[in-house]
Amino acid sequence: MTAAASRDFSLSANLPGSLAHKLLVCVLVSIMWQAAQADAEDPRPSMFSFNGFGTAGVVHSSEAQADFTSSVFKPNGAGYSHNWSVDVDSRIGAQLTADITPQLSAVVQVIAEQGYDNTYKPNVEWANVKYQFTSDFGVRLGRIELPTFLVSDFRKVGYANPWVRPPNEVYGVAPLTNNDGVDVSYRLHFGDITNTLRGAYGSSYKLNFPGIVVDTHNLWGIFDTAEYAAVVFHASYLQAKATVDPPSPLFGAFRQFGPAGIAIADTYELSNRSVSIVTFGASYDPGGWFAMSEWTRIRSHSFLGVNTAWYVSGGYRIGKFTPYITSSQITASKASDSGLAAADFPAEFAGTIAALDAGLDTTLASTSHIQRSNSVGGRWDIAKNIDLKLQYDRTRIGADSTGTLINIQPGFKQDDTVNIFSATVDFVF
Amino acid sequence: MSSKSAITTLSKTQLADIFLGRVSRFPNGARVVPIDQAEDSAARAEFYAKVADKSAAQMKAYWSKIIFTGRGQPPTEVANGAEMKRRIAENPDAIGYIDENLVDDTVRVVQ
Repeated sequence: MTAAASRDFSLSANLPGSLAHKLLVCVLVSIMWQAAQADAEDPRPSMFSFNGFGTAGVVHSSEAQADFTSSVFKPNGAGYSHNWSVDVDSRIGAQLTADITPQLSAVVQVIAEQGYDNTYKPNVEWANVKYQFTSDFGVRLGRIELPTFLVSDFRKVGYANPWVRPPNEVYGVAPLTNNDGVDVSYRLHFGDITNTLRGAYGSSYKLNFPGIVVDTHNLWGIFDTAEYAAVVFHASYLQAKATVDPPSPLFGAFRQFGPAGIAIADTYELSNRSVSIVTFGASYDPGGWFAMSEWTRIRSHSFLGVNTAWYVSGGYRIGKFTPYITSSQITASKASDSGLAAADFPAEFAGTIAALDAGLDTTLASTSHIQRSNSVGGRWDIAKNIDLKLQYDRTRIGADSTGTLINIQPGFKQDDTVNIFSATVDFVF
Repeated sequence: MSSKSAITTLSKTQLADIFLGRVSRFPNGARVVPIDQAEDSAARAEFYAKVADKSAAQMKAYWSKIIFTGRGQPPTEVANGAEMKRRIAENPDAIGYIDENLVDDTVRVVQ
């Protein structure tokens, strides 16, 4: 359960959606392709825009008994699996946008990056049609980005971000980047303030991991962004129901131990439990420098517990150079549980109870992300659509926790410091 | 602005909002079509430095955010100031920026 547990809350995007959704994506892609072919012979300005982005990166971690990576959907990273990993940040994306009429548009974006199966098989990141009823009110249907955080809807576009990657402590708690369903956006203007309110509702989808499936459904969220000149405020709330299938044998075993065991299983088992996320963020970017900060809390009545995370970041622009610093932290409400007391049961169960309690602690530790990072880095705009970034993260992993690291090995030391070096080249076209 | 447009003044924030794609209408409710000069042009660099306090690289990063969430595309580009003036003069909704010595009575300068 441990390996799986560390990846349990994973409402992924990259994994196949429902058949109906796949059909929608196929139809969209084929219509847009045919229209693009026809368009090639048309001398009028094209209704199509083709854009792409990518990142080539390498990462080194000083912790050889665990992997550092950028998403829980990745199977390995830098540290234990690779001394220098190219898989943490490297990816390439392409997007086709069609403005069919002034009101009707469609977008398909495909990204190739290391996925859970350890291949770079391309996945449809978004594929949706938008109908803009008025200049300020629009509805989208299909696979749509989820704007959970300030930069979450473009977190994979390295060129659009000041850092090598958004702070893991905050962005790692909600790795989902898209939602299959409907999204309504309403923009309001108060003087020079532009406020955009969005609501999203998603159909159910299953996330497949080796040996387990995480079924999420009834995902809904509200997102608000207020912009005034160089200031942006963002707040969001989203919620989904999640179930792990098959149920963990660990909690099944606890249920054999009377009311005390059942109480433990009921407290921690992820079975049709709601998982909710609240976020607040602000950024200020007057041009010569920038500062931004976000706070989030993810709550679930299961072994995932309650995690609270924040970061503060700032940078200063000197011509083509933008040095920056970031401080970030994630804490967990509960990283351990005393479990069952062996003294309450006949002596012959002592060994089993000890094993169950150890299993519970391992599960809780793997999902109780406690860590603190201080990072320093720089962005260099080397050409009009290419940047080079270097970043150093000094991460302190908490006691009773494995932080946001994965593939924990037996010699891993908790309450220790990990040094992470990253270099990336980002481009857009 | 076209000399046919009803707009005579815009604040720096209103101008920035138009060229950053945050609004699609003038303050009086009329449709607005912003037009950009070529990406490497000095006029474009100066315009965005003044109006949005952003360098060419910052503008590129800004539009990357908008484009890759399917929320929009940057303004249409024209090759030079003369082409810009022609496009603005023929479209009352259009707004752009040109060198001062290109200004004539087909276009209106907004303050």
